[in-house]
Amino acid sequence: MSAGVLLFCFDTEHTRYHRILERCVRLVRKNITSEITVITNFDTYNRMSPMGHINYRFIEPELGNKLNGRAWNNVDRHMAYELSPYDTTLVMDIDYFCFTGNLKQFLYTDHDFLVPDTAHDLTGRNSFDQRRWSMIPMVWATVLLFKKNDKVRKIFDTVKYVKQHYSYFTEMYRIYAKNLRNDYLFAIALQQVNGFMGYEKLPFALPTLPPDCEVVEITDTGLAWKYDDQISCVEHQDVHVLNKEIANV
Amino acid sequence: MDISELKRQSDLSYDTAVAKRNALEKAHSRQVVVYDEHIFRADAETICLVRTLKESLDTFCVLDTNRNPVEITDPNQFLSVLVERNQESLNAYKQVYQTFSRRDT
Repeated sequence: MSAGVLLFCFDTEHTRYHRILERCVRLVRKNITSEITVITNFDTYNRMSPMGHINYRFIEPELGNKLNGRAWNNVDRHMAYELSPYDTTLVMDIDYFCFTGNLKQFLYTDHDFLVPDTAHDLTGRNSFDQRRWSMIPMVWATVLLFKKNDKVRKIFDTVKYVKQHYSYFTEMYRIYAKNLRNDYLFAIALQQVNGFMGYEKLPFALPTLPPDCEVVEITDTGLAWKYDDQISCVEHQDVHVLNKEIANV
Repeated sequence: MDISELKRQSDLSYDTAVAKRNALEKAHSRQVVVYDEHIFRADAETICLVRTLKESLDTFCVLDTNRNPVEITDPNQFLSVLVERNQESLNAYKQVYQTFSRRDT
């Protein structure tokens, strides 16, 4: 049974995501596995530094969302099932920095599909709790783990269906965010496929740095950030960094 | 105490509280352990349960973090995994905690 990590990376006009990918790959290889597949396009691939043995798959990304007038291509996650060459796949956002090997053990469980449903705000502001007004429990598709089988294929088929009719589903579930988000796609699909009941989850909160935190230093064991004129840091703890300026650190 | 000293102390206490919260969350994440393809939390409750069941049973069932039943056929090995991960995470937390104590003085 093969197991590996799947990463999506597409540079945009404003952000050199491949620089974030290079850091992410180094940490994945060090702490999780050397089986890595990157989904990218030729423009992004041509800018990447050599990263050792990695599988590449090339697609043209669908036009993505805009945040503060800047586009980012993040709506291809629904294709992870078809694009993954592994029996068990760990899909991660490239801005999720695994400074620990905590995720590695989940490659070897008997669960078909696992996703976390909470995030831990490292600045202590609980800024991710606002998502509770939605009618369904939300998930964080930043990290998700799946096996290739019939049930999981149906989950991804449903994700595609929800994506196709996104405005209908967001109205129905009282999701006010305008941008198409993988988190919502998977939350809705999982609820539908699982008969509107619960589903299995990764039992930890994703440590997350909100977008207003500026990362000032990053090493192989942790990172430091500036927020409100104060510098804080974490070491040996995974971190999801929402400020894309990390590409320039 | 003047107002600037109060502000300094308040900022310090806030920083310490946030750092402590993050360190505790880190410990909680590290306590998640996969055993026999199932996910468990190596917390005090699980350790006490396994230890109690082990005293009277050679094999027994417990629930994983997703409420699935798991038969434990080697209780000693399972308990050892739980205790090791629990202490590893709490020792790391203790090291960070000691830096808080130094900051307060």
